[in-house]
Amino acid sequence: MAFTFRGGIHVPEHKHTASKEIKKMTEPKSVAIPLSQHIGAPCTATVKVGDSVDKYQIIGNVEKGLGCPVHASISGKVTALDIRLNAMGMNVTHVVIENDFENRISADIKPYEKSFEEITADDLIEITKNAGISGMGGATFPTYAKIQSALGNVDRLIINCAECEPYITANHRLLLESPDDIIGGVKILLKVFGLRDGDIAIEDNKPDAIELMKKKCADSDIINVRVMKTKYPQGDERQLIYALTGRQIPAGKLPADVGCVVFNAETCAAIYRAFAYGYPLTSRIVTVDGDCINEPCSVLVPIGTSYRDLAEFCGGLKREVQTIVNGGPMMGAAQWDMDAPVTKGTSAVLFLSEKSYPDVVDDYKCIRCGRCVRACQMGLMPSYTALFSRERKYDLCEKYDVMSCVECGACTYVCPGSVPITHLNRVAKSKINEKRKNAQAKEVKKNDK
Amino acid sequence: MTNKENMLHVASSPHIKHVDTTTSIMFDVIVALVPALIWAVYSYGFRALTLTLISVASCIVFEYLYQKLLKKPLTVRDLSAVVTGILIAFNLPVSVPLWVPVMGSFFAIIVVKQLFGGIGKNIVNPALAARVFLFTAWPSKLSGFMHPFEDKLSAFSVSCGDITASATPLASLKTGVSPDNVTLFDMFMGNTSGCIGEVSAILVIIGGVYLLIRRVITWHIPVSFIGTVALITYLFPQVESVQPYEFMLAELLSGGLMIGAIFMATDYATSPVTSAGRLIYGVGCGLITVFIRYFGGYSEGVSFAILIMNLLVWYIDMFTKPRVFGKIKAKKTKEAV
Repeated sequence: MAFTFRGGIHVPEHKHTASKEIKKMTEPKSVAIPLSQHIGAPCTATVKVGDSVDKYQIIGNVEKGLGCPVHASISGKVTALDIRLNAMGMNVTHVVIENDFENRISADIKPYEKSFEEITADDLIEITKNAGISGMGGATFPTYAKIQSALGNVDRLIINCAECEPYITANHRLLLESPDDIIGGVKILLKVFGLRDGDIAIEDNKPDAIELMKKKCADSDIINVRVMKTKYPQGDERQLIYALTGRQIPAGKLPADVGCVVFNAETCAAIYRAFAYGYPLTSRIVTVDGDCINEPCSVLVPIGTSYRDLAEFCGGLKREVQTIVNGGPMMGAAQWDMDAPVTKGTSAVLFLSEKSYPDVVDDYKCIRCGRCVRACQMGLMPSYTALFSRERKYDLCEKYDVMSCVECGACTYVCPGSVPITHLNRVAKSKINEKRKNAQAKEVKKNDK
Repeated sequence: MTNKENMLHVASSPHIKHVDTTTSIMFDVIVALVPALIWAVYSYGFRALTLTLISVASCIVFEYLYQKLLKKPLTVRDLSAVVTGILIAFNLPVSVPLWVPVMGSFFAIIVVKQLFGGIGKNIVNPALAARVFLFTAWPSKLSGFMHPFEDKLSAFSVSCGDITASATPLASLKTGVSPDNVTLFDMFMGNTSGCIGEVSAILVIIGGVYLLIRRVITWHIPVSFIGTVALITYLFPQVESVQPYEFMLAELLSGGLMIGAIFMATDYATSPVTSAGRLIYGVGCGLITVFIRYFGGYSEGVSFAILIMNLLVWYIDMFTKPRVFGKIKAKKTKEAV
């Protein structure tokens, strides 16, 4: 019996790249590394235009607050500190490095000075912070902060390899090609959290990975390979935790509040590499796919590589691209710029033509079919929240629990009336947050008087 | 960089969509209604088809004209007007004058659907409201129920004055007697008198199964609706000369119950969106149907039952709001800690 949850949807998987080995990308001529790739404060550049940088050298750091450093993914010369708009519409400084193809590696790179037996929680926090590791599933929450907040509060460690989004096979390939890195990461995390065993959750559409992992973990009982039913959004940590433990994270709370901590598989491997070899996070596996790309495959890409270079590496484009998605097609962000860079949170880059992209209908109509209600794993009534949001009745949206919406897009996917439910919910959420903020500010003012 | 590359499409996620659209769903409903239509033509003659086509055409024309005149976006292509048109005709006896479906279409499309905001916004089922409107406005024109396979009507026979009208099985049941000359099997197959689309229970059920397979409808409303009627008519039969189960089957197979429960009550706009709500709604429809059939002035209760429950749909939705993930459990974990 595979573990699963209530609601959710079945999406065509499009896992075309599942059987293709990860290709290591030839280093691009130049990279543009954004200084804000994580949730929290953006980094300030520690290099100047004209500086020569080594691979793995720190080029941006956060002085205080939440955030982690950014490292050079190639060796070369800093040619510009560009301020560009990122996909979220924020101005972010990008460090542009011209490749000198000398592949000089920073002298700081060496395995962690302590052995596995000696490592403590503080050590791991230091390692993950210095290596600039943030969640690689897409949420990009700094990993050291996650470890910090979870310490002492958790009794379950879960490694998320569900990969429920269509197209993406980055975790799947990682499981097949570097299982030991993941297992190494799990061992470190278990030691630090003081747990006896942890779960690796894999959707049942990856039988080869499940088999390999079971074989690898056969001689030890500290890792349980958990087979999850293939359903979207199985990889959402709320549903993952619920499926495995029966615990439900209350709205606005974190996994640690129900005693769980969840790491993405690639994050877990990155933790191991930072410990064992001292490598900071400067490259990641990106699934390049979509009906416009000639040779879809998963690629190990230096952070900061542009989509243009990535498309070229994968055989170029065979037809006109209508949409470029950073991440999966359900939750990823559409990009407007072919020169936008791959970041730490980019699990896939999809080049989609108009054929695979739904028509945007301005005059959408809800026919009240109820499919969204059945799809919503959060137990919302999306048809109603969308209706209220469209009528700007945000109080009603709040009453109908729009704040619990995780924006997974399942409702919008199944909607025959093409209602942009997810978007309407987002609008409502931001309006409600704005209102709450204002109310809070008023409260503070009152108290000051 | 070429100019075309600059024209990337940027929209809010998700970036893929299920293939079903409003149009494809409506098309499925039309497909599901075709068997009953073929039977009507076979048993009553081509006049059944003529009436259906007139009804469909006038629904399309009224919707188009309304939206064109008021400069609203045209929605004729979603085929919902076609479905309404077919259902209006299906609810009429085959002997009605040809202008009757036109009046019905006007009422359904303009008054019930468009004046309330168009597709998805109407508060009662347009086809059913039209049926009730026609039956109350011109009762004499709509009472001539023909016996099937006798005096088949040609496609354009205008006058139907001399047809031998026969009592519908439901009308007989109302008076407390078992229908003459009509076996349960006849009623099941459609060898009886009634409205165009409702006589053949088996073909309506086949249409319903098709809709279930295509996932256009869920089982909740038809099962709870028909189940409720079955239960009450079995427990409290009104005809003493037959076994309770025979009375129950006669009630289930006669009148508009099947087409009502499968095609009318499941109309999206006027039924609840939650599964629990759909069950409540179906039970409500069943209770009111039996109540009217037993105690009301009309022999048929399905239309009124559905129309009354239509008006309660929002309340049912509010009442059956699903439990939000992480809401109640939150308290429990706190207590546990």
